[in-house]
Amino acid sequence: MNKTAVMLTSILATSLAQPAAIAGPEEDRAAFVRYFQSRFPDVEFDEFANGIYAIDADSRRQWLEIEEFPPYEFAIEQGESEWQQTFANGRTFADCFAQPSDSIRAMYPRYEEARGEVVTLEIALNDCRAANDEEPYAYDAEELIDLTAFLAFEARGKAVAVRIPADQPGAIAAYEDGKRFYYSKRGQLNFACSDCHITSVGQRVRADRLGPSLGHTTHFPVYRSKLGGMIGLQQRFLGCIRDVRAKPFELQSTEYRNLEFFLAYMSNGLMINGPGARK
Amino acid sequence: MAPARASSRNNSLLLLLSTLAMAACTTQFEREYAEAERWRAAAAAAGHEWIETSRLLEQAEATADAGNMDVAFELLGKARFQAEAAVRQAEREAEAWRVRVIK
Ligand code: HEC
Repeated sequence: MNKTAVMLTSILATSLAQPAAIAGPEEDRAAFVRYFQSRFPDVEFDEFANGIYAIDADSRRQWLEIEEFPPYEFAIEQGESEWQQTFANGRTFADCFAQPSDSIRAMYPRYEEARGEVVTLEIALNDCRAANDEEPYAYDAEELIDLTAFLAFEARGKAVAVRIPADQPGAIAAYEDGKRFYYSKRGQLNFACSDCHITSVGQRVRADRLGPSLGHTTHFPVYRSKLGGMIGLQQRFLGCIRDVRAKPFELQSTEYRNLEFFLAYMSNGLMINGPGARK
Repeated sequence: MAPARASSRNNSLLLLLSTLAMAACTTQFEREYAEAERWRAAAAAAGHEWIETSRLLEQAEATADAGNMDVAFELLGKARFQAEAAVRQAEREAEAWRVRVIK
């Protein structure tokens, strides 16, 4: 047992100590895009922002019908009034951000050198509350998800633009960690994200067809008709991890933040089109 | 009167023996529980814990507390199996994930 633990630690340590041998994020992204474009040659690059609806005509038809009366509209409205509310100190969310509300979504997730970690939009919003002496939201709180719905809606049509500056070794390490997580098999069912969302993309799993990972982050948060409510991206991670019978991580854990950082980078150049509607 | 005394002596001997057996069983359970828990913690530290393991451990403990040792050991065995398999998975994946990266 102790021997195993030692071995494990040393394997992990060596695997962390060799980032130089790894292809850079931009090569990874180009290969990722090439892969999905060759699997689905009839699908335009921009269409991948629509997830499963880019590749499945039947569910696309249903979705277009749903989009006539978007079930996430209420969340956008709620989010907007949250955004405009004044904190007890008289300030608002807008005072925390240098950018106008249509340019905030695209700034996250980002690596903040000073903090040494990936900051997601949810974290930035909660930081803003804390800085103004307001209680932070739980990461699955409706208020927080609605705020992200509003900011995604405002940002529609702006490109995903995650940056990994070459002079930020911490950003590259976070990206590599997210990439490792994405491609690692886990859980009792021994599945990696890539097994479903790359290798088996387009195949049926029970009532669902598996959507491509290219575009995975563009349309969150989403209204899920199955749940009758909105969920954020990391709640989806949590669900997929539970489905392979692995123990999920906490929302906004380092694991999920780095995974989001990697996945969002893979979607660079696609348009933000959240919030979305999904089964 | 003598036989009665003998039988009461027998009874206390029996009680003593069964208490000893139970104590032995309990310490064995505790030992195996601690071992399984170490595997679970190693799997968790590697980010590979499976979803059921800690619930199985809790159930094993509760069942042992209720004195149902056979079932308790069975649950513990399952937890131990999962935790160890999760550690092996983490060991494999420390390198195996690389071959899946799209190039
Ligand atoms: C066993 C197969 C399986 C695995 C493994 C799996 N997923 Fe999923 N995932 C699904 C299914 C099924 C859906 C719903 C259909 C779809 O949109 O792909 C889904 C949906 C998603 C969505 C929402 C897509 C959208 O357009 O709204 C995201 C994001 C996602 N998965 C991420 C992940 C990540 C990250 C991992 C690894 C931690 C992962 N999944 C592992 C099966 C899987």
